[in-house]
Amino acid sequence: MKDTPLSNCERDFLIKAIEEKKRLDGRQTYDYRKIKITFGTDYGCCFVDLGQTRVVAQVSCELVAPKESRPSEGIMFFNIELSPMASPAFEQGRQSELSVKLNRQLERCLRNSKCIDTESLCVVSGEKVWQVRVDVHTLNNDGNLMDAASIAAIAALSHFRRPDVGIQGEEVTVFSPEERDPIPLSIYHMPISISFAFFQQGTFLLVDPCEREERVMDGLLMIAMNKHREICSIQSSGGIMLLKEQVMRCSKIASVKVSEITELINKALFNDRTARKAGRKCGFAESLPQERITALKTDQSEVEMTDVSERASDIIQKAEAPPPMAASPVLPAPGVGQVGHGLQNTWGLEEDEEQEEESSGEEEEIKMEEEQREKDKTTEAVVEISDSEEEEVVILYPETTKKPKNAGSSSDQKGAAASKKRQKK
Amino acid sequence: MFSSLKEKVGQVLVPGDEFGFEAEDSISLTESAKPERVVCGPGLRRSGDRLVVSKSGVLRHKPPHCFWIESQQRRYIPAKGETVIGIVTAKSGDVFKVDVGSSEQASLSYLAFEGATKRNRPNVQVGDLVFAQFIIANKDMEPELVCIDGSGRANGMGVFGAGGLLFKVSLGLVRRLLAPHSDIRADLDRLFPCELVVGLNGRVWVRSSSTQQTLIVANLLQSCDTMTAAQRQQLFRKVQQGAL
Amino acid sequence: MAGLELLSDQGYRLDGRKAAELRKVQARMGVFAQADGSAYLEQGNTKALAVVYGPHEMRGSRSRALHDRAVINCQYSMATFSTAERKRRPHGDRKSTEMSLHLKQTFEAAVMTQLFPRSQIDIYVKILQSDGGNYSVCVNAATLAVINAGIPMRDYVCACTVGFVDETPLADLCYAEESGGVSSLALALLPRGGQIALLQMDARLHQDHLESLIEAAMTACKGVSKVLDEVVRQHLQEASVLTRE
Repeated sequence: MKDTPLSNCERDFLIKAIEEKKRLDGRQTYDYRKIKITFGTDYGCCFVDLGQTRVVAQVSCELVAPKESRPSEGIMFFNIELSPMASPAFEQGRQSELSVKLNRQLERCLRNSKCIDTESLCVVSGEKVWQVRVDVHTLNNDGNLMDAASIAAIAALSHFRRPDVGIQGEEVTVFSPEERDPIPLSIYHMPISISFAFFQQGTFLLVDPCEREERVMDGLLMIAMNKHREICSIQSSGGIMLLKEQVMRCSKIASVKVSEITELINKALFNDRTARKAGRKCGFAESLPQERITALKTDQSEVEMTDVSERASDIIQKAEAPPPMAASPVLPAPGVGQVGHGLQNTWGLEEDEEQEEESSGEEEEIKMEEEQREKDKTTEAVVEISDSEEEEVVILYPETTKKPKNAGSSSDQKGAAASKKRQKK
Repeated sequence: MFSSLKEKVGQVLVPGDEFGFEAEDSISLTESAKPERVVCGPGLRRSGDRLVVSKSGVLRHKPPHCFWIESQQRRYIPAKGETVIGIVTAKSGDVFKVDVGSSEQASLSYLAFEGATKRNRPNVQVGDLVFAQFIIANKDMEPELVCIDGSGRANGMGVFGAGGLLFKVSLGLVRRLLAPHSDIRADLDRLFPCELVVGLNGRVWVRSSSTQQTLIVANLLQSCDTMTAAQRQQLFRKVQQGAL
Repeated sequence: MAGLELLSDQGYRLDGRKAAELRKVQARMGVFAQADGSAYLEQGNTKALAVVYGPHEMRGSRSRALHDRAVINCQYSMATFSTAERKRRPHGDRKSTEMSLHLKQTFEAAVMTQLFPRSQIDIYVKILQSDGGNYSVCVNAATLAVINAGIPMRDYVCACTVGFVDETPLADLCYAEESGGVSSLALALLPRGGQIALLQMDARLHQDHLESLIEAAMTACKGVSKVLDEVVRQHLQEASVLTRE
């Protein structure tokens, strides 16, 4: 199935918003969306929510023969599954470019950085080693799958426990969790991937792009780092041209973000451990609200309005009326159907005779419409006069509202607003 | 049957619920038996001598005899006469291909704009938004859109100007927005002036005087989907108290 | 670290080079008659062939065509005899798909694709012998082939890998150094503007060293660009001598 195409209007708006340092969900340029890490009932199962993006990672292990080149090392296997469940753009079965890109980046981020002690996974050298598999499934795609996947994978690995084994001569026995406590993997450090989206040929930079931002962006830079400020991998993608300074800046931002996220993972791991120890309910089932429709549950999106109050006071000081909006359907030229104003009539009227073709009846109608518009204008003007007298200012104390904060005049111009609004039906 | 349907108005029905066609229990002797007429809207289907519910939702009634199920669907199915916001995806020959969010792309002739002639083509680029009306919407045929009404006037339809933001909400919310005395619209009226175009396919286009305000309206409307009236009014009041 | 000393106390590497020294680069342009552009490039013992077709009509599914620019289609493959161990699958595995993707990205940044809407440019690269720095050799060979095909580019794209050993950046790694566990960084550069078309790094490196490593990679890329420039100039001179009379 094809994805919904992106309209020019969305693209232009997003770029304009980014230029004004605003984002669709009210975040700041370098803000992450809300990260939520939950663990499943089993060891090694981890759900990560990054805003609306949702992935699940499951770690499993089995005993296999080692690779010939490395007889005393365990085998790590990573896989990111882009299931069609997550987005209509993902196709079943086929290895898409995105899937290859994500898989390789995850491999590079976790395997090449040697964050897991693979030698401790060896049972009998050259004969039996543990193969640890990390499967990351995407459940909902709202952009930045890579970061969500890398957080889920490393959190799941840290949460995972493998069964204990005993060796007696040639015999290898795998103990069930009841017999002996399972053993956690030894993890040296936690690499976490941070994505940066570039817009307008690298002029603008965003952290953690959402799906719509991803579709507008020119290119992406993914930096994987751990909290010791060691870079584990860097990957640029999508035909952008970076400058060295930009890379350096990104690496600095990444180091801050990584330490925040590592903290979060550790906290989540700690909470899970204490919950398990206390014998309380833990895991995924517990994290789902009961008897609630989850599809209709949305976290309230924060609309950033911090600077509005400043601007509002500015405007009040200058005592300027807000810029008038189009009160009626704009007809820049007769015979042009157009929604919204601002677009120039670009129809090529090739010959003059076409104007003659226009019947007198049509002209009459246009006149009528113009009259109508005049009327609208006058009524609007009246309303505005009364409105400007009634203008009152309400300024909120910042702590009273957690949500949209704003200051300004409450304009109770119902009539005007109604005419200002063009409802179509 | 009419009475049994009427009984259930406002109740939640699920697929598989049935209504029988059996006549009234007491037949008046004096009056000749009037044939009952019921118009089935979305979610109600006739199967033999029974009326079967095919969608889950609340049963609604419009006098004299229209019944339908109001569901919170997200995927749009074209219906003749409905106005939608479409995205032009391709120009091929003398038609534009328009994505309206349904199973198939709709076609829009370049002659179906007000004042368009063979020589005078409308300026529509790939990726532009159009506000248009379905004139053909049939399950066996490619849907077709027009940007003119019966008398050849634009009547508000056509290509969108620059600026503004497009976003998606559920079809239920769109219908609530377009209802004659919509609460949400009334609440929104009190905030700040904005232009709002609502397509029945769940797409809403907003433009306001600044990016900030446009974002606020878009976020408010998107969150309306999941809020009760009281919650919504509280939220709107919060915004209003601080709004420009 | 595999017991090998990658950088001796005297400052020499395994193959006797200095830290910032490149391997010998030899190249020829226009090696095939059938293709629109072709080039052969040796960088030390790594050898690559690049062939360019296009811009031409979209092949395969037409739906992939972009209405505002050309699509670049890259295919990277390694000859079965290119490595010490015979390769089973010359292309199609995850690593080579990724490599194709990276090449595509690099050239999307460098080629002026917006001049050819609704068309396609094919770049096929084959590694004949692999001795480290496959990506960079492919990019360098493909650049020459694209120039040979006369496709407009913003600048040369030059690529180079650098490693980091004992606080010293090593330019242009060979296979022994690459597999020796050094953190390596591959960088494709448009030398005139100093713009980075692709940046990729594996293995661990402290953030503080990143700048010096990128700096070294950029210097190395500029060195490569000089060599490529010479090759192009010489090729053009030869061609013009032939056609003058």
